[in-house]
Amino acid sequence: MPPAGIWVDGLVQSCIYITMAFGMVLVFSILGILNWTHGQFYMLGGFVVYYAVTAAGIPFPLSLLVSGVVVGGLGMLVEKVVIERLTSPGYGILSVTAATNALIFFFEGAAGMGFGLMNKGMATVLPGVLDMGSFSISYQKIAVIIFTLVVMVAMYIVLNRTKVGKAIRATSQEPDAASLYGVNVKWVRVIVMGIGCALAAMAGGVIGIVQSVNPFMGRVPMIMSLLAVVIGGLGSLTGAIVGGIMLGLLNSVIAYSISYYSEVALFMLVIILLLIRPQGLFGAAPK
Amino acid sequence: MIIGRHYINEKTLVPKVVIGTLIMIVAIFPVFTTNIVTLSTIILSGIWAVAVMGFLLILRTGQFSLGQAAFMAIGGYVSAILTVRMGVPYWPSFLAAGIISGVIAFIIGIVVLRAGGIYFSIITIAFGEMVRIVAMNWESVTQGASGILTRAPDPIMMGNFEINFAAGAVPYYYFMLLLVTISALFYWQIDRTRIGGTFRSVAANPVLAEHLGINLMKYRLIAFTAAGVFTGLAGAYYVTFLSVMNPLIFDLWKSVQIMMMTIVGGMGSIVGGPIIGATLLYTLGIYLSRLPIPNIQYLVFGGVVVLLLLVLPKGTGLVDQWGKLWRWVFGEPEDFQMPEEAGMDEE
Repeated sequence: MPPAGIWVDGLVQSCIYITMAFGMVLVFSILGILNWTHGQFYMLGGFVVYYAVTAAGIPFPLSLLVSGVVVGGLGMLVEKVVIERLTSPGYGILSVTAATNALIFFFEGAAGMGFGLMNKGMATVLPGVLDMGSFSISYQKIAVIIFTLVVMVAMYIVLNRTKVGKAIRATSQEPDAASLYGVNVKWVRVIVMGIGCALAAMAGGVIGIVQSVNPFMGRVPMIMSLLAVVIGGLGSLTGAIVGGIMLGLLNSVIAYSISYYSEVALFMLVIILLLIRPQGLFGAAPK
Repeated sequence: MIIGRHYINEKTLVPKVVIGTLIMIVAIFPVFTTNIVTLSTIILSGIWAVAVMGFLLILRTGQFSLGQAAFMAIGGYVSAILTVRMGVPYWPSFLAAGIISGVIAFIIGIVVLRAGGIYFSIITIAFGEMVRIVAMNWESVTQGASGILTRAPDPIMMGNFEINFAAGAVPYYYFMLLLVTISALFYWQIDRTRIGGTFRSVAANPVLAEHLGINLMKYRLIAFTAAGVFTGLAGAYYVTFLSVMNPLIFDLWKSVQIMMMTIVGGMGSIVGGPIIGATLLYTLGIYLSRLPIPNIQYLVFGGVVVLLLLVLPKGTGLVDQWGKLWRWVFGEPEDFQMPEEAGMDEE
């Protein structure tokens, strides 16, 4: 049995994957595409929080919101300029896949030019540890977990209790019918892209205090949250939570006992799951 | 137009001359320059073109694989391990790289080609990552992250004339041409015959194709395996030219790059599109990496690809613009009427 610290680390990882996966699921269910640039919005969010905290001196929770707004706006811009055009009828799914993949290089290059390649740490935010007797958890990790819980609750409220949420759910079910009932589907797409990117950005900001921020930090979490979304079922938020927890714990707890084979086991598990249940654990059966 | 036998057909004369001249220039290119940087750029983009053709062949059956770089890695490792660590002569191990990569593609294909669409792509990503992790950690065979220094190909004796690969980049250049030509002919032959049509029907409407008695798995497997063989050969030759093989050469982002080359180059022609896309994007990447500002190459590269995708008309790549460019330069052909239904294929 691995020590409790490993479990906590796994949980922190899972939290990040879940928050990113939420954004991916939202974007997929409305725009019908996988946003491959998600990890780079996560990275940009990390940098925004870093500069907001260290250079501008904004308090950490507020700077998380700032990063959400800034990067969410950037995501909206990307939707408006690139994705809307490339998902219009006549384009194949590959055009938008290639474009969002190209944006990975674009944003990483931009971040590398603007912020440098060095790791930037924010260890001074929320110092201290919570002593739990046999083990201790740093406040930073607790912040990540609380942040994820807040995101989950907020998502639940937004999607179920607000008008925007109703519009989003209606659009994900039947875009044509929703637009007949007065939902501006184009705006829903832009807003959802904004929410998705803001979630990724805030995840990047909150993990920035545990780990550190660099231009290439988005690649692995992007792949992991993508896998989480897919094994959970494309379009299912519950699936995203389960998938994120599975992958996060696999990455740390199983790695504790069988070292690098855990990664092989992880990808093996993904392949086997997809072959047995292509629609994912919580996804609807394909039409 | 005069009815009769034309030994010189004026309609096809100019295109033939242009294409012939291009082929001539490519064939005697080392006469103009033996600059190692220029030659190596061309050699490596040619090798990428082979991999991109494989991606496009799989795409013809409606699947898009984001694990093509893994087959290059397998090919590279097979040839490196066989030559350096087991002392097998170069050329047999080069062929073995293609065969083993093809066999692995066949086995993987049997298992994973059942999944369609985005799930297939995700599975191939997972496969590619697994190959990278195993290569990174299986130190007794692959020497891990430090990699294997590969050996130059054995000299080929042709009568009294010896082709010595240690002499410089020119023999590599000609062997690259041979590799590209063989794989291009192979893919082109597949694509234009009945089997290529079957691939398209599998992609266009799998349910209908199955009801017409087409075994979907069989054709997907053929495409995947054929692509695996040539991609493996390309990978083996790539690492031979680089003279080192390590797990970082062929990671996920190289698979992504292969996909971008395919889309930018265009999917209208299985030979022309990949060659244009690979040459253009690879050369762009190389020239950008010489810029003095660090990281600007990624920014410009990504920006150029996105702009190209936005500027090009719906779902087409550069090669599909060929006809338009032609009419723009030489004007509309006078005695040519486009038939009503022509050019309406689903591709």
